[in-house]
Amino acid sequence: MGNPVINKPAVHASYGEAFACFAGGLDAHDHAARSAAFDEFVQFGLPDNKIERWHYTNLSTLPARAVQLAALPAATDLSRWQLDACDEQIWLNDRRIDGAVPSAVLPTVDTHAGLAGLHRAFARPGLQLDVPANTQLPRPVHALTVSSANAAGEMYHLAHRITLARGAGAIVILQNIGLPGAERFATQSLGIDLADGAQLTLIHVQDESRATTQWLQTSVNIGRDARFDLVNVDLGGKLIRNDWRVKLAAPGAQTELAGLFTADARVHLDNQYEINHAAPHGTSHQYFRGIGFGPSKAVLNGRVVVQPGAQKTDSDQRIANLMLAKGAEINAKPELEIYADDVKCAHGATCGQLDDTAVFYLRTRGVPEAQARALLTYSFINSVLEKIPHAGLRTRIALQITAQLGADLDLSAIGDAA
Amino acid sequence: MTKLLEIENLHAEVGGNEILKGLDLRVAAGEVHAIMGPNGAGKSTLAKVLSGAEDYVVTGGTIRYADRDLTALSAEQRAAHGIFMGFQYPVEIPGVSNMMFLKAAVNAQRKERGEPEMPANDFLAWVRHRVKQMQMDSAMLSRGVNQGFSGGEKKRNEILQMLVLEPKLMVLDETDSGLDIDALKIVSDGINAMRSPERATILVTHYQRLLDYVQPDFVHVLAGGRIVKTGGADLALELEEKGYGWLQAA
Repeated sequence: MGNPVINKPAVHASYGEAFACFAGGLDAHDHAARSAAFDEFVQFGLPDNKIERWHYTNLSTLPARAVQLAALPAATDLSRWQLDACDEQIWLNDRRIDGAVPSAVLPTVDTHAGLAGLHRAFARPGLQLDVPANTQLPRPVHALTVSSANAAGEMYHLAHRITLARGAGAIVILQNIGLPGAERFATQSLGIDLADGAQLTLIHVQDESRATTQWLQTSVNIGRDARFDLVNVDLGGKLIRNDWRVKLAAPGAQTELAGLFTADARVHLDNQYEINHAAPHGTSHQYFRGIGFGPSKAVLNGRVVVQPGAQKTDSDQRIANLMLAKGAEINAKPELEIYADDVKCAHGATCGQLDDTAVFYLRTRGVPEAQARALLTYSFINSVLEKIPHAGLRTRIALQITAQLGADLDLSAIGDAA
Repeated sequence: MTKLLEIENLHAEVGGNEILKGLDLRVAAGEVHAIMGPNGAGKSTLAKVLSGAEDYVVTGGTIRYADRDLTALSAEQRAAHGIFMGFQYPVEIPGVSNMMFLKAAVNAQRKERGEPEMPANDFLAWVRHRVKQMQMDSAMLSRGVNQGFSGGEKKRNEILQMLVLEPKLMVLDETDSGLDIDALKIVSDGINAMRSPERATILVTHYQRLLDYVQPDFVHVLAGGRIVKTGGADLALELEEKGYGWLQAA
């Protein structure tokens, strides 16, 4: 895809100053690679909405604004976000604060050249997880990335990588929290490589501040009979763009992508999912739910490409959205491109409101209307949340979302049976 | 003796259509009333109006419940003051467990009445006792409300909720429909277990067979939006034999 250069806003001088500062201590090889990346950014700028994949989201005005490298903020108590029975790793902006991070090669990101250049020029290593062959990690890895900005225009860039060798298995929770503060800008990339028979469950929770503009690209390569399961939850941010590229690269690869978003407070939230069936006997399921809580714009694009020769592909996509307020806009679009003839592909999308009969049913049992609506909203989101293999995180997210409806739910009774 | 429920000259409409056209009904504590009648007579409308459905609009007459104007209360307030509506088609709420649902209902009602929350252990024991009484598997408590339940299981769950909530006035809308004989027996036992001098029951039903198990004190025929005949338990048998045609002609 071309990168139009016409009418591109000039890159603010502060980017160059930030890069000089960032690149000062790098070795010659790294310095050269990052300089080349930075030049790409300066040449191409950031994507605008004339590009089809960026139809709803325009980043092109960002380079004209002043930026600075995110400072390392003062010590902050982050314990409230820690999760039980997990191996924690914590980043504050682009710095790991609870341990060392191994050095990492520059990430490869397949996107708009200028955006890729910006990310590669500044990216610092985030989670670097390698799981050896036939090893199951006994506990989930909880990578907590926290953004914080004291001055407007602070930016940081993080590159994560997860590699599972043959037959390995892991659960990774990548949680992105934004502390209140000044306007900020971040890019993150996540490269995932799953060798034959490997199984990864990735939980991504984005709960950024109302002052955060962020782009995340996740690229997944799934090997033979390997499996990638995703639960992506978007709760916050000001302008959030997530690109998910999932390639079923070898026969028998499987993936299930589940997503849940809530949008209000004029947030702009754009999730672009692309599943690439590049080999036969692949299975992909997509299950997305969204809630418009208030004036906001959400975009959900679910694209499935079945390459020539990817016979016996089995793919389905279900999208359901709940509009709880005026001024909420949700643009949900399935896209199927099929170049093989022996495949099964299905999709469906719905958009609606809470069922009045169900609200009345709860009220006849004495449950006040606000709480009835919260319970039914919980019912709506639970079909995604139940896929999260961590009860504590599941409950937190459920409480956070239902609290937006002005009702306190008692979720302690969820599993009370025996 | 003052009546628990006094309905006088009730007119109600839904979607602009008048369904109830001057209905009178008096129910005293301790009594069981069966409301029978042909399709479209207004039986379910009466149940909906009593439970506070907002799309059913009262356009005339009065409803007094426990000496207060019932129409001034919201559906949830009515529940807290002891009115229970058993649904003809209970709603499925996937992901919200029966336990979570019952706890939310009981505590909301107690809060509305100004009572403290029930201690968790007492509540659990109480619910389990009622589950056993309804011959249900306690594993159902962690399942979603009516999620994947058969028609009969849903009706049984309605009665379970009623036993847990202990209402004063039970309005059961065709609770017997969709039940096999065994389930009908269990549901009837549940209803009979709630019979007491302080409580009253209104059974809306098409069929006599429920009344073999739950003996009514009064049987009313509702036709054309009004009660057109009232009798004892034997009226139901007569209706079973003759149908409703002879009444509407009268």
